Amino acid sequence: MKKRNKQKNKNNNIAIRVEKVSKTFRVPHQKINSMRSAFVNIFNKKTYEEFIALDEISFEVKKGEFVGIIGKNGSGKSTLLKILAGVYEADKGKIIVNGGVSPFLELGIGFNPELSGRNNVYLNATILGLTKKEIDEKFDEIVKFSEIGKFIDQQVKNYSSGMKAKLAFSVSIHAKRDILLMDEVLAVGDVAFQYKCMNEFEKYKEQGRTVVLVSHSIDTVREYCDKVIFINDSKIAKSGNPEEVCDEYILKNMTKEQIEEQGVEKEKKKREKE
Amino acid sequence: MNNKKHESYKELIWMLAITDFKLRYQDSVLGYLWALLQPLMMFLILNIVFSSIFASGGAIEYYSLQLITSLMLFIFFSEGTSAGLSSLVNKAQLVTKIYVPRWTIIVASTINAALIFLMNLIVIIGFFAYYKLMPDIGSILMFIVFIIALYVIILAFSLIAAPLYVKYRDLTIIWSVALQALMYLSPIIYPLSMMDEKWHPLMLTNPLAFIIHFNKEALINGHYATTTQYITFFSIVIAVLILGIWSYNRNAKNIAELI
Repeated sequence: MKKRNKQKNKNNNIAIRVEKVSKTFRVPHQKINSMRSAFVNIFNKKTYEEFIALDEISFEVKKGEFVGIIGKNGSGKSTLLKILAGVYEADKGKIIVNGGVSPFLELGIGFNPELSGRNNVYLNATILGLTKKEIDEKFDEIVKFSEIGKFIDQQVKNYSSGMKAKLAFSVSIHAKRDILLMDEVLAVGDVAFQYKCMNEFEKYKEQGRTVVLVSHSIDTVREYCDKVIFINDSKIAKSGNPEEVCDEYILKNMTKEQIEEQGVEKEKKKREKE
Repeated sequence: MNNKKHESYKELIWMLAITDFKLRYQDSVLGYLWALLQPLMMFLILNIVFSSIFASGGAIEYYSLQLITSLMLFIFFSEGTSAGLSSLVNKAQLVTKIYVPRWTIIVASTINAALIFLMNLIVIIGFFAYYKLMPDIGSILMFIVFIIALYVIILAFSLIAAPLYVKYRDLTIIWSVALQALMYLSPIIYPLSMMDEKWHPLMLTNPLAFIIHFNKEALINGHYATTTQYITFFSIVIAVLILGIWSYNRNAKNIAELI
């Protein structure tokens, strides 16, 4: 059904490889965040609790794959994404990333409300790793995709939140890295814009670029992902076929009543018919 | 690939610095004049209060000129270090939401301070023109070298302090008190000659005091430091830079979790 990516070399087929990655956070009972409290508590024993966010996670993502990561709040999804993005360092394990990463953990990083849309495009795109020359070339395209039009030279503080998000999204999309990491950023913009974005991601696949999406929107995940990873209690509970994994996730995380309401069974049958 | 990376870091640093710079002056000449009011007011007050004390009996020629030169250098130091100190926390988004090398954020804040200093340089030049004093070429070259050294000190301090500020959020208060002390420990409002000779070597181990003192001496009086003094000074500057890089590598690792 899905087009295979055009990569011929098999060894080069992997976009992301994660091997036994663990991450533990130390949560102190009494947080020391000033010199004063460090001084006052100098003789006190420092106690803390360890919170295991990720426990020996391993998986692979092939080039051109659209991978969804699901799991309930606090299960470690975002931590995983931040490790892939390089924001956090893993305590243990190995991560291999082939190609440039464009993290999408938040839209419009560095946007400054006092600056015009134009200046913000340059600022944000530079932060995402584009050079001035590249931005110059892509600028018109970015503005066109964002649907901002003549407002581009206005200060961003006068934009509506939707406009801001669209502009930010447009810049991010045009950053054109090999691997995109997204943390629940699709919930912005109107329906038409969302549709446009998902279409854009479909194109990514054809170009052999990889998308990793963290989402709570099971429908989106079912519809677009080639592979889904379900993280539960810091471990991978199930991964593989989107339908199966999503069903598993719903079964594990909802009460019986909720499941009945959702009608998972009904949906399954419906799919079988199709 | 690697080359492209370095190229894009350069562009990133420049973009961050120039954005802050533009925001400060709001992209206009009047914005720049407005930003000059603060140092000029400070100069005016200090000049009125202290020129009568230090310049009475003609003890110091060109007191105002000495004051404005030292003051601008000190403001460069004080604003540069303060901006560097809070750079990572102020740009927390760049630390927690994306990966850019954290030092680029710190370097950008110090570059911004350097740009502001270059703007303030116009005032110093204006003062020299007003007093019709032309420093000799050697002292101007010396001045440039000193500015670079001062920048290196600011950068080194920022590399040490920015990651620490993530952990200790009252460092800004502590540093502003320390800056007050440093202002009076450096020969800004008074000439070093007012002090007993035996204190001079100790005073001049403070690189900030050294820069301020010998800048004034060279530009206005044509006096230079001795070779030994230069060697000591540059050794201290290099040591501070090494300390800064070492400290940064030690402390900057896990700041994304703490910020």
